[in-house]
Amino acid sequence: MRSKFPSRWLPYVLLFPTLALCGLFLYYPVVQSFRLSTYRAILMGLHQKYVGLENYVRLFTSSDYLNSLKVTFIFAFGVVLIGLSISLAIALLANRKVRGARIYRIALIWPYALSPAVAGSIWLFLLNPTVGVVNYVLKELFGISPDWMSNGNLALLAVTMAAAWKNMGYNIVFFLAGLQNVPGEVLEAARVDGAGPWRTFWSVTFPMLSPTTFFLLIMNLIYAFFGGFGLISVMTEGGPAQATNILIYKLYQDAFRFQKWGTAAAQSVVLFIMVVALTLIQFRTTGRRVHYGGN
Amino acid sequence: MKRVWLLVAVALLVPSLAWAQEEAPKIEITFWHAMGGWRVPLIERMVEDFNLQFPWIHVTVEYKGSYTDTLNAALAAARAGEGPHVFHSFEVGTQLLVDSGIIVPAEDLIDQFGVIVPWQDYIPPVLNYYRVNGRLHSFPWNSSNPIVYYNKSILDAAGVTLPRKPTYDDIIAVSQAVVDAGLAEYGITWPVHSWFFEQWMANQGVDLVNNENGRAGYATEINLLHEAAIRIVEWWKYLYDNGLWVSPGRSWSQARQIFVSGQSAMLISSTSDVRAMENASVEQGFELGTAFLPIPTGVERHGVIIGGGSLWVTGGHPPEELEAAVTFVTWMSQVAQDIRWHQGTGYFPLRLTSLQALELEGWFDRFPNYRTAFDQLQETQLITATQGAMMGVFVEARSIILDAVEAVLAGDKTIQQALEEAKATIDQALLDYKELMEG
Repeated sequence: MRSKFPSRWLPYVLLFPTLALCGLFLYYPVVQSFRLSTYRAILMGLHQKYVGLENYVRLFTSSDYLNSLKVTFIFAFGVVLIGLSISLAIALLANRKVRGARIYRIALIWPYALSPAVAGSIWLFLLNPTVGVVNYVLKELFGISPDWMSNGNLALLAVTMAAAWKNMGYNIVFFLAGLQNVPGEVLEAARVDGAGPWRTFWSVTFPMLSPTTFFLLIMNLIYAFFGGFGLISVMTEGGPAQATNILIYKLYQDAFRFQKWGTAAAQSVVLFIMVVALTLIQFRTTGRRVHYGGN
Repeated sequence: MKRVWLLVAVALLVPSLAWAQEEAPKIEITFWHAMGGWRVPLIERMVEDFNLQFPWIHVTVEYKGSYTDTLNAALAAARAGEGPHVFHSFEVGTQLLVDSGIIVPAEDLIDQFGVIVPWQDYIPPVLNYYRVNGRLHSFPWNSSNPIVYYNKSILDAAGVTLPRKPTYDDIIAVSQAVVDAGLAEYGITWPVHSWFFEQWMANQGVDLVNNENGRAGYATEINLLHEAAIRIVEWWKYLYDNGLWVSPGRSWSQARQIFVSGQSAMLISSTSDVRAMENASVEQGFELGTAFLPIPTGVERHGVIIGGGSLWVTGGHPPEELEAAVTFVTWMSQVAQDIRWHQGTGYFPLRLTSLQALELEGWFDRFPNYRTAFDQLQETQLITATQGAMMGVFVEARSIILDAVEAVLAGDKTIQQALEEAKATIDQALLDYKELMEG
């Protein structure tokens, strides 16, 4: 059943506001970014010079940029792995029928409501080598006092934990929703067949959760690639010695702090290609390989 | 009934009278600054006073965030033809702003409007920083330099004293004594910031970059492989490896916190912290002392670079607005405002007259810690090293220097290797900039 427009032009008139807005605020800047990526430019483009593909060649031969790529992948992998596994475990516990379950569930979502700046400050404070709680406990228990923000690996671990934690509320909500959609009769059937809780989880619950898990996987990847900015900015500014300089932060730094607009534009084009790839993967695989239970 | 009409008439008249008063034409100018925290209300009160003293001018003041934020906001606005008349920028943005084409050099404005500014009353090193190609480009405002703050109570308990002009070895000795005696966990701290590195280069009388520190032409090379640079990093590494220096990361407030809470006996920070440190020492019940920036043992002391910021006027406004902007910026460094700013923040007074007035008032006798920074500045030799480097890519260079220092401290790279790599990256950036500007 298709409805017909009375005039050929009406659909275009109706689409016009959206297209105009998209054109002005999305497509035009994208075109500008592509253009700027072939220039060497400072001061927001007040001075610029055409350099062809030099920015791209330099990017992929720059040890800093390759390091940033590596850091981003480790960070994203960490955020997805830590974030999803702990969130799932917590969601499973929160899904049990215990007294006050609703209160726990609300409390679990809180971190998501914090702004990255606040979350970053909290983590900085917790991990402060001299007055932080984490080091106090570590010192009492194991006699060690790691210098979180001076050691590159530890700093990366710290921002990864913070980013994973920050997004946990979001993950838990979706996992909880997913868990509540697992039909009771299937679980009961599994129990009748003699499956223990462990077996029930891996053979029944987990496969039935796979659409949720897959959705969260993509969302967390996007979050790690683009949403990590606020935390990095507050906690490490990409340091120490580039150890936590993820792509999106490096781009910001090159453009807004170092006034290197051409290089930054080239980086944004690279990021653009990555997002397109991620989105394509999501579109292609949704509906396949994941088990959509029930009807 | 008559009374009602009278009321109505009055009600109509009063706002229209107020309206008439508002109608007097005022020259509207905007001022964007980058000073957060307790300085915001102080600046707002100063601007209010200006508006009262100059009823035909109205300055709208706005806090725009960090120096970088303010710079970007001013650039973007100026491109759109709506630049703020006056904005505040950090010293290392000088070259970039001179090249930006959005500003009008301070001396041009002074000449254009025939304003008389008693430049001979300004402290020379302050003016010197903002003089490019012999002409003053911006109006000095908040100026500071780094000094050592120490917890005298801890040092006394450890039975040590810090000389007023300490060497690197003095800092090591005092730190070691304090740590050995268990009086503080660490000897000293300062934020991981390239500013200190730059100051230590200048203090040894070494230009940071070539071409007379970038003032005779665009710089093309940074002096990171100079023995002066290596001395600094070696000392820093020694302090860190021996548990005498603790890293507060890149955070100034963390560094202050570590010092104030007594975990570190000494702190190197900006003189603009004097006021905050004085207050904190009273609250925490310790005696505060201050000393000059330490220098490598056996090296002659050349002094410090003036750090901080200045006020820039952007072009593209009608002459009467520019004139009002000049009136405002020169008012800001008049003696009365200068003293108020110094007492409220700890930034230097800019004028010799202000100094004399403060001296007469007994200000420095009551608060000797304010004097340290000042003596340090006045003993500074006027050479290109202490005039400060000019680089269009200064902010990026700072970040690269820090990366090198952090890699050395973490033990990932040797000093030579880290500085060589940093030099190569910065030199490339300097060349790119020169090429871009010279076309």
